[in-house]
Amino acid sequence: MMQTAGVKQTMQAKQTVQAKQTVQMNQRNIIKTILSRIALFVVMLWIVSLVIFFALRILPGDVAAIIAGTNSSVERYRSIRTQLGLDRPLIEQYGSWLWDIVRGNLGTSVITGQAMGERLTVRAAVTFPLIIMSMIITLAMGIPTAVWSVTSQHAWVRTSLRVMSQILGAIPALWAGLLLVMIFGKGSGFIGILPTQGFPAQPLSSVSTFLTACASLILPAVSVGIITAAQVMRYTRSALLDGENANHIAWSMTAGMTYAQAVRTTGLRLALPQIISVAGVTFASMITGVLTVETLFNIPGIATILLSDMSERDLPAVQTELLLLAAFFLLVGLVIDMLQRLIDPRLRAQQAHTNQ
Amino acid sequence: MTKNETTKNDTVRNGAVRNGTSKKVMNKRMGIILKSLLTRWDGLIASIFCMLWIAVSIISLVWTPYALTFTDGYNVWSAPSSSHILGTDGAGADVFSWLMAGSATELLIVCAVAVITAVCGVSGVAVSVSRNSGVRGISVVTFDALISIPIIVIALLCAAPWGASIVGVIIACSFAYSLNLMRVVRPSAITAVRSPYVTFARYKGISEFKIFWTHILPQIIPSVIINVSFASATAILAESGLTYLGVGVPSHIASWGRSLSTAANFVTIHPSVALWPGVIITVAVIMINLLGDALRESIDPLTNAELRRS
Repeated sequence: MMQTAGVKQTMQAKQTVQAKQTVQMNQRNIIKTILSRIALFVVMLWIVSLVIFFALRILPGDVAAIIAGTNSSVERYRSIRTQLGLDRPLIEQYGSWLWDIVRGNLGTSVITGQAMGERLTVRAAVTFPLIIMSMIITLAMGIPTAVWSVTSQHAWVRTSLRVMSQILGAIPALWAGLLLVMIFGKGSGFIGILPTQGFPAQPLSSVSTFLTACASLILPAVSVGIITAAQVMRYTRSALLDGENANHIAWSMTAGMTYAQAVRTTGLRLALPQIISVAGVTFASMITGVLTVETLFNIPGIATILLSDMSERDLPAVQTELLLLAAFFLLVGLVIDMLQRLIDPRLRAQQAHTNQ
Repeated sequence: MTKNETTKNDTVRNGAVRNGTSKKVMNKRMGIILKSLLTRWDGLIASIFCMLWIAVSIISLVWTPYALTFTDGYNVWSAPSSSHILGTDGAGADVFSWLMAGSATELLIVCAVAVITAVCGVSGVAVSVSRNSGVRGISVVTFDALISIPIIVIALLCAAPWGASIVGVIIACSFAYSLNLMRVVRPSAITAVRSPYVTFARYKGISEFKIFWTHILPQIIPSVIINVSFASATAILAESGLTYLGVGVPSHIASWGRSLSTAANFVTIHPSVALWPGVIITVAVIMINLLGDALRESIDPLTNAELRRS
């Protein structure tokens, strides 16, 4: 008796040691993955900076000509070029630009003389709430309707939800904005309750200006959000149906769940990694729509400065803005990737397996 | 055993015989696919729409009711009438003529994006399931990182040196959608790579390219079709957004996005002019998606019983 107990104990001890080892190894693997992913992020960003810098310099014609004006002499144009450092070799210009960015110095706009950092944060303070609102609308509408379109017991509900997602996903953001203005726009719509133009001046000091700001973001956010919600719904629906094909739903039902419960718990949990990756891609694709509605609703976000700098050929400003945009989206991609590994044990297991 | 030997001998003796039969089989299969496409309601509607679209585009190249440069200064913002079917815009230009001419531009963008996305996307999938694990790993992480760069950044990058251009729209859309295709199609390509016949073909020493072409590509074609149709449909939406922002189709070239943009600023005063471009864009996008769905169903032997039997 005693002997067997002892054997049991040693076996248990062995098992715990083994478990600890695997945990350690898993942790090491995770750290390794995170580090390599971050290294990739840096390399990507560097390549993007190269592409942006040289793509903006394919054609001649620069900001010095615009500052000098049409009637200026060649000497004046030359002196402005020297002043801005545009006559230095490209490699040197690239190096100093990159070095400034790495040190956190975003430079100043050569046309308005404003500091880029300040200029961008003021605009981003409008654009980011708009993006986040659209994202919330997207997820809050897309995922529940997807579940509903799978679990509903009425065939007509399922069909009409599918048809609706097809139609809503096919509307251009610009047109959705126009339609919403015609329906809800203050002064012109059938139910004129929401503002359609402008945004209160910053900083938002009182509660009432804050509420006005929120109100003026509702229509733009909805016009982008509805469309992406339809796309997210379509992907989520097919992910849920994939889970069903793999019999997970059937197993949950044998464990006593109803069909709707099984889809809501097991199905959604299994589809979550796919939903997150779709949400990430949607996030990137949403920005075109966001910039469009910003222009349409006359909201002072990043779209306005990006486009005006572009048309004024203020290349130093444009290249910094594009690099920051690309960096932001690469960062979102990085976070999504990490999140996916965190919530999907299957991915981690796969990785541990391949590393061994 | 004997049967195998005879076919092998036939092939060895005369390659042309095999080629001839396979061509016949291909033709027969094409016929079946076309037939089942046109007997489905969605396939039929979408095919008719696309035919009409192509026809209108070709006609618009030689004839539109009014010349694009023609402006009727006395009839600005006029309602639909017998002389202007869809009315006129703020400059007095005929809305219908501009939409008609725009359909040709749009068709060009859709076709170019579809072809480039299919070619680049499928080659990307081929690289990302290649035998060399180093190439495979690097390509997968690179594609995953690049996919997060939005279309608008690429479009701005193209617009900076060349100004707004159709080529810029096509490059931006193809770039984003090929990466999207790679990501979505890759899992089914991996399933195909792990199948026993690919292993067998590799043991026989058949080249990787040929294996991909004959064994893996047919497996992933259905999901490639869905993705290409999604890409070309979304390209229309992207075009309208980019054109409105001034980095898409230049303003002197007709496109549906341009028609929508010119109407956008006056929508509260003249809502009807903004209606038609929006309707035509939405319908076109839905139709391309339907065509993709129908084509997938009829080209996949798993869902098309008749194709399986042939």
